[in-house]
Amino acid sequence: MFRTSARQNPLRSSALHLVLIVYTLICVAPILLIIMNSFKSRRGIFGAPLEFPRGETFSLEGYETVFTIGNFPLYFQNSLIVTIVSLLLTVVFGAMAAFALSEYRYRGREILTLYMILGLMVPIRLGTVGILNMMAAAGISNTLTALILVYTAQHLPLAIFVMSELMRQVSDDLKNAARIDGLSEYRILFRLVMPVMRPAIATIAVFTMIPIWNDLWFPLVLAPSEETRTVTLGAQFFIGQFVTNWSAVLAALSLAIIPMLVLYMLFSRQIIRGITSGAVK
Amino acid sequence: MGELAFRNITKRFDKTEVLRHIDFQIEDGEFVVIVGPSGCGKSTLLRIAAGLEDQSEGQVIIGGTDVSLAPPAKRAIAMVFQSYALYPHLTVEGNMSLGLKQARTPKDVIKERIAEATRILALEPYLKRKPGQLSGGQRQRVAIGRAISRHPQVFLFDEPLSNLDAALRDQVRMEIADLHRRLGATMLYVTHDQVEAMTLADRIVVMHDGVVQQIGTPRELYKTPANTFVAGFIGSPRMNMFQGQANSGVIRAPGLPPLPLPEGTALSGPVTVGLRANGLDLHPAPGAGADTSEVVDIDYLGNVCYLRLTLPDDATMVVEQRPDHPFSLGDHVTVTVQPEEVHLFDPEGLRI
Amino acid sequence: MATTDHTAPVATGKRPRRWHIPLLLAPAAIVYTLVMIWPLVDSLRLSFFDEGAPGERIFVGLQNYRALFGSDLWWGQFWNALVNNFEFFAIHMLVQNPIGIALAAILSLPALRGKTVYRTIFFIPAVLSYVIVGFVWRLILSPTWGIAPDLLDRIGLGFLYQPWLGQTDTALITLSLISVWQFIGIPMMLIYAALLSIPDELIEAAECDGITGVAQFFKIKLPLLWPSIGIISILTFVGNFNAFDLVYVTQGPFAAPDGSTDLLGTFLFRTFFGSTSQLGDPYMGATIATAMFGIIVIGVLLYLFGIQRRLTYYQM
Repeated sequence: MFRTSARQNPLRSSALHLVLIVYTLICVAPILLIIMNSFKSRRGIFGAPLEFPRGETFSLEGYETVFTIGNFPLYFQNSLIVTIVSLLLTVVFGAMAAFALSEYRYRGREILTLYMILGLMVPIRLGTVGILNMMAAAGISNTLTALILVYTAQHLPLAIFVMSELMRQVSDDLKNAARIDGLSEYRILFRLVMPVMRPAIATIAVFTMIPIWNDLWFPLVLAPSEETRTVTLGAQFFIGQFVTNWSAVLAALSLAIIPMLVLYMLFSRQIIRGITSGAVK
Repeated sequence: MGELAFRNITKRFDKTEVLRHIDFQIEDGEFVVIVGPSGCGKSTLLRIAAGLEDQSEGQVIIGGTDVSLAPPAKRAIAMVFQSYALYPHLTVEGNMSLGLKQARTPKDVIKERIAEATRILALEPYLKRKPGQLSGGQRQRVAIGRAISRHPQVFLFDEPLSNLDAALRDQVRMEIADLHRRLGATMLYVTHDQVEAMTLADRIVVMHDGVVQQIGTPRELYKTPANTFVAGFIGSPRMNMFQGQANSGVIRAPGLPPLPLPEGTALSGPVTVGLRANGLDLHPAPGAGADTSEVVDIDYLGNVCYLRLTLPDDATMVVEQRPDHPFSLGDHVTVTVQPEEVHLFDPEGLRI
Repeated sequence: MATTDHTAPVATGKRPRRWHIPLLLAPAAIVYTLVMIWPLVDSLRLSFFDEGAPGERIFVGLQNYRALFGSDLWWGQFWNALVNNFEFFAIHMLVQNPIGIALAAILSLPALRGKTVYRTIFFIPAVLSYVIVGFVWRLILSPTWGIAPDLLDRIGLGFLYQPWLGQTDTALITLSLISVWQFIGIPMMLIYAALLSIPDELIEAAECDGITGVAQFFKIKLPLLWPSIGIISILTFVGNFNAFDLVYVTQGPFAAPDGSTDLLGTFLFRTFFGSTSQLGDPYMGATIATAMFGIIVIGVLLYLFGIQRRLTYYQM
C-alpha cells in the first residue's frame, strides 16, 4: 500500500499527467477534427475548422453525397463478409492445427511447427504475383472467396503460434479427465480447450480482424471490381474521385473510422487484457 | 472382477527407458500405493494403466481383459488428478454426469449414480455450482465424486493430495481411506509422500529409476527393506546408513560399537549398516574419545525428540529419544545398538 | 520379475492410428501451403522468367536480376526505394520505439491514476486503416484547408509551417512520423506487458535499496526489457516492408513528390501493375519481391545471430 498513496509526490504526478494529456491530444485531435468537420457545410469546414458544428455550419451534405453516389452499403457488406469468414476460418483452422502441434508427440512435429509459423517472418504480399496467377488459374479472381483465402492463410501463422503456446498451458489433467470420460479428441478441442481459452481467442480474433478490415493491398490487386470492393478500398476510390468535395471526403472518412472505433471501444478492455496477460509475447 | 495387472511393462521416450519390466498385480478390492521420488516413473505407470500413455512393451489387464490397446474410456477405470481437472464451464452435477452421458447411459441411471456419489461425499449443497466457486478441498471431493459416479472397476489416484494444504490433506486422506472401506473397490494410488503410502496402502510398490524396488505391506517394507533405496525411502526420519567391514563374525564401522553378524551368516568384506533412529540407545560419556559422539542438534517434537550426533569420523546420525532425555547440546555420548534393529546390505545395496 | 500368467486373452494388433492428428492439421496446412507458401515459391520461380512472344513464358536465368541491379532504369529506382525504406525504418526505431517505451514506463507506475483510459486512447490510431490515417493527415497538413498553419499561428510558430508532404526533402520524414503516430500503441502495449511481468517483489526490493524513479527504470527494468525490445525491433523491421498503403494513399503510386517517398512496397506495386507511363511486368515484380525477401531474410538472420544471442534472458 505504501507505494500507492503515502509516497505520492504531487508535483511529479501532475507532470506525468501533463505529458500523458498532451499525448492524448496528439492521438485524438486529428480523428476528432475529421469527424467534427464531417458534420459541417463547406463554408463551416473552411471558415471555422476548429469549432464544433453549430446551427449555421451544421450540415449533412457530405453524408448525402456519400450515400447517393457511393455504394457504401455494398462495400460494408463485402467487408463484413470477408472479415467475419476469414476470422472464423483463421480461428477454427488455427486452433485445430495448434492443438495437433501442441498436444501430441510424433515425429516431425517440430519441423511442421516451424513450417506453419514461418509466415510470421515473411509478408504475404511478397507472393502477390504468385497469388494472382493462382487465383486466375482457379477462376476466382475478383471474388470475395479469393480475399478470404488470402487473409486466412496470412493470419494462420500468428493464430497457430499464439494458440499453441496457450494450449500448452491448459491443464493436461483436464484433457486427460475428458479422455477418461470418453470425449473424442475433437470434442476435447472444441468443447473443452477452446472454451477455456475464450479470452485469448477473443484477443486473437480482434487482432486478426483489424488488419483484414483495414487492408488496402489485396482488395486493390485481387478484387478491385465494384461488386467486391471493401470499405477501405471503396473509401480510397471515393476520396480519389471526390478529392475536391471536402464535405463528402470527410463524411466518407468518418464512415470508415466509426465502425472500427466503436468495435475497439467495445472490446478495448478485453483486448488490452489479452495483450498484457501474455497472449502476445 | 476388479483386478489390475501390469505384465512386463516397458516404456521408452525416444531412447530413454523410463519404465523397465514392470510386472505386478493388484487384487480385487485391494488398495495399492506406488511411491517413489519424482521422476521414478510412477506417474507414467499410472497413465499407462489409464490408457493416457502407450506402453512400449507389455500388457495392461483390467478385470481379466487385456486393455492394452483400449482407449481410456473403454477401460472401466476412473481417475482423480492432482489438479482436480474439473471442467471449469460445467457445474458440479455436469462434471459428474459428462462421462456417463458420453457413454449413453440411461437418464435414470445417471440420476441414481449422481445421487449416490452426492450422498457418499456430502456434495448436496454444491451440485449447481461451478468449480470456480469451490474451495480446494471441495473441488477434490467433486473430482472423487466424478470418479465414483462412473462405477469403475479400478480407481486411479494421481497425487490427489499434493495441491491441498496440510490440514485439508489429512482430512481428505481419511476420506479416501473411508471410501475404500465403504466401496471395497480396487484402488491404485500414486504419491511421493511415504506417510500417505504407509497410512493408506494395503500394499506399497516402491519405485526408483523406472524399476520396482520392492512390493509389500507397509510393515514388511519398514521391517525388512529389500535394499538401501527402500530402507532410506520408507520411514521418517531417514534410516542412518554407515559403511562398515564384516570380519570374523563381527561388523565394525567407525564410531559404532562392534555389531555381531546375524546367526547363520558367514560374511566378510564391505557392508552397509542401516540403523533406524528408534533402534539406538544413548549413554552419557565423560568426554571426547575414539568411540564417543557429540550432540550437535536437538529437535523437540513434543512426543519425541530427535538428536543429531556427530560421530568421530564426522558422519552424522539421528537418534530418537523420549522428550525427557537428559542430554543437551555439546554433550558427549556413546551409542549402543539394539541387535534386532540392524539392517545389513551388501555392496550392491541388497539386503543380507 | 517374469511372473506373467496368461489367464487373460492377449489383445492383438497395433493401436489404431491417430487419424485425428492429420485431420486436425489438414485444413490449416492446405490453405497456408496453397495460398501463402506456394505463391511465394512461385514468385521466386517467376523471377527467372520473362515474356517472350505474347502469352509465352521463357526462362531467362538471372537476366531480371542483372536488369534490377545493373541497369540505370531499375537500379536507380530500387536503390532509391531501398534507402527510403531504411530511413523509414530508422525513424520508427528512433522515434516510435523510444516514445512507446517511455509511455509504457509511465503507464506501468503503480501510483498513476487513469491508466486504463490513457492506454485505451493511445492505442486508437493503431486500429484505424492506413487509408484513413493517410487522408486524415493529408487533409490536416494541406495548405488548402489550413488547419496546420492556423494551429501553429495560434502558438506563435506560424513561420514554421511548410507543406511538408509536398516537398521532396520533408515528405518522407513526415510520412514516417505519420506512421509512427499510428503505430506507437503497439510497442507501448508489448513493453507494458513485459513490465507487468516483472515481479512486484523485485521492484519493492529496489525501492528498499533506494533505487527509485528514473534510476529504477534504467537500472532495474530496462535490462529486463531488452528481449521484448528485440522482438519489437524485428517486428518493426519486417512490418516496414509492408509499408505500401500509407504512401499509396497519401502520395499516390508514384510516391510524390518526385519519387522521394518511394518504398520497396510501392515500387513493387508500380512495377507489377504498371502505371500510365509503363506497362506492368509481373516478372520484374517477382524479381523485386524476391529481392525484398532476401533483404528480410538477411535482416532476420543478422538479428538472430548478431543481436538475439547477445541478449540476456533472465529467469523471472
